[in-house]
Amino acid sequence: MPFIEARGLGKTYVRHAAPKTGGISRLWKRETQHIPALTDANFSIERGELVGLIGPNGAGKSTTVKLLTGILTPTEGTCTVNGRMPWEDRQAYVRHLGAVFGQRTQLWWDVPIRDSFLLLRDIYALDHAVWQRRLDELIAELDLADFLHTPLRQLSLGQRMRAELCGSLLHEPELLFLDEPTIGLDAVSKLKLRAFLKKENHAHGTTILLTTHDMEDMLALCSRVMVLGHGKLLYDGGLDALLQRYDTVHTLRVMFEKTPDLSAVPASVTRDGDAYILTYEPAKLATSVLLPQVLSAGRVREMTLKEQNVDELIARMYKEMAL
Amino acid sequence: MNRLWISWKPYLMVFRLRALMETQYRAAALGGLVTQVFFGLVYVCLYTVLYDGADAAALQDTITYVWLQQMFFRMMFSNDGELTNLIMSGGVAYMMVRPLDQHRFWVCRDVGGRLVGAGMRMLPMLLVQLLLPKGCRMALPDSPAALAQFLLSVGLGAVCLCELSAIVDAINMKTLDRRGISAILNLTMMTFSGNVIPLTLFPDSVQMLIRYQPFAQALDAPIRMYQHAAGLPEWLLNVTVQIAWIVVLRLLGRWMWQQRMNDMTVQGG
Repeated sequence: MPFIEARGLGKTYVRHAAPKTGGISRLWKRETQHIPALTDANFSIERGELVGLIGPNGAGKSTTVKLLTGILTPTEGTCTVNGRMPWEDRQAYVRHLGAVFGQRTQLWWDVPIRDSFLLLRDIYALDHAVWQRRLDELIAELDLADFLHTPLRQLSLGQRMRAELCGSLLHEPELLFLDEPTIGLDAVSKLKLRAFLKKENHAHGTTILLTTHDMEDMLALCSRVMVLGHGKLLYDGGLDALLQRYDTVHTLRVMFEKTPDLSAVPASVTRDGDAYILTYEPAKLATSVLLPQVLSAGRVREMTLKEQNVDELIARMYKEMAL
Repeated sequence: MNRLWISWKPYLMVFRLRALMETQYRAAALGGLVTQVFFGLVYVCLYTVLYDGADAAALQDTITYVWLQQMFFRMMFSNDGELTNLIMSGGVAYMMVRPLDQHRFWVCRDVGGRLVGAGMRMLPMLLVQLLLPKGCRMALPDSPAALAQFLLSVGLGAVCLCELSAIVDAINMKTLDRRGISAILNLTMMTFSGNVIPLTLFPDSVQMLIRYQPFAQALDAPIRMYQHAAGLPEWLLNVTVQIAWIVVLRLLGRWMWQQRMNDMTVQGG
C-alpha cells in the first residue's frame, strides 16, 4: 500500500454572498455559491519520495496540502496517509507530520527561537536528550547558532525560514509539507535550503511534498511533479518527461574561425554579430546528429547550447492546458 | 500520573514562556504604573469629596478597593494580540497542524501573561503606597488569613478571566471583527467585575445578584476577601462559586472552540 493515496479526492467551498441584482432585498437575501477548489484527484506517493506540486495561483495546491494535513475535510473522495485518514483523530495524525507554510510563521514571534523549540519539545513529547541531539544536528545543518537566542521578529527572511524548517523537523516527521519555502529568499539562501532538503530526504527518508512557483526549486529537488490547474490534476509523472514534452526548440550558438559553409546543416540559421544561431527541434533532429555536421562546416572557436528557460516552458504548458 | 504530567507539559511551558515574555515589556509596565497611580489618585480624591467625612470606615474600604482595582488593571484588560492576528489572518487554521488542544493552549498562555503582567505593576504600586499621604493610602489586609484567601482568589480570578476571554476569541473567529460583540463584552466585563465602580457600592438589594455573577469572580471576589477575612463556611462558598464559574465558562468555551474548529475544517482558514 502506498504511503499517501488519494482516491477521487475533492473539496468544494460554499460561499454566501449578497445577490448581484435586486434592490433592498439584497439586505436579507443571499446567494450560495459552490466553488470547487479540487475535483477528483487520484494519486499515490511512496515513502521517501520528493514530489513537487505546481500550478498557477488558485489551482488547488493549498487545498490539496490542507486536505493532506487534516486542516480541511474533503467533500468527496478519500485519502489516506500511512493508512490513516488525516481528518480523523487529527491530533494523533499531525504528530508524525511537519509543515512549513512560507507565508505564515509557526514559531513564536516575540520569544527567542530556542524557546519556541523548547515548546515544540513538549508539544511533541520528545525526550530532552533526543531533542537536544536533533536540535544540535539541525543547528549545524541550517546554520542557526548565531541567532538561536534572538526573537523571531528580529530575524531576516532567510534566517526565519531556516528557523521554521528546524521547528518543523525537530520531531523527525515521516512526512514534510513545504508550501513555497523559498519565497522571497536570495540566491545563496535558496541554494543552501535546497541542499539541506535533499540531504534531509536522503538521510532520514522523509517524504517531502513541496509546492512552489520557483521552477529552479523543482529542477533541483523533484524528480516527480504533479501539475494542478482549475482544481484538477493535469499531469503526474517525471519532471524530465514533462519538460521534454514542452521543450521543443533548442538553440545552438556557434562562432567559427573562418566563414563556414552551413548549407548542408538542416537547421534554420541566423547571424548575431560574429556568431551563428542555429535553431532546431530536438524531437526531429537529435543534437548528436546535428553536432558533427556543424563541426565539419568549419573550425569552431566556441559553441554554446541553450535549452529553453524553464519558466517559459511552464508558461507555455499552462497556456496549452488552458489555465 | 506520569502520563498526565506529559500531556500537560506543553501547556505549562506555554504558560512559562508567556510569563517570561511579559517580563520583557518593562517600559510598558512602567507606563502602566504611572497611568494606574494617576487614575487611582483621581478616584481617591473623587470618593473623598463624595463621602465628605460622613463615614470614615466606608471611605477607607472604598479607597482600598480603588487601589486594588488599579493594581489589577493589567490583569483585567489584556488582549492577546498574537491570537487576534492569527484569527484575523486565518493563520489560526494552520495551528491545527500541531498536536495541541487549541483552547487549553491559548487559555494557559493568557493566564501566564495576565498574572505576570499584573504582578509587575502590582509590586511597584505597593511601594508607591508608602509615599502617599495617610488619607489616600490603601489599608492592610484584614488579617494574614485574608491575605492568603485573597492571593488564592486572585489566581482563580485570572483563570476565570481567561476562560471568558477564550469565549470572546471564539466569537471573534465567527465574526472576524473584534469590535462589535467583543467590545460590548469587554465593557460589560470591566463594569461588572468592579473595575469601574466598586461593586460594593451597588445598592444592597442587588448585592446578592451582583457578587455571584461570573464577572465579579475575576476581581470583586478577591477584593472582598482582602477586606474581610471570611470564616471557613463563607470562604468555601466564595471559592466554590469561583470554581463553579470557571467550570461553566470552560465547558462553554471548549464547546465554542470546537464548533469554530469544525467550521474551519469545512471552510478553510
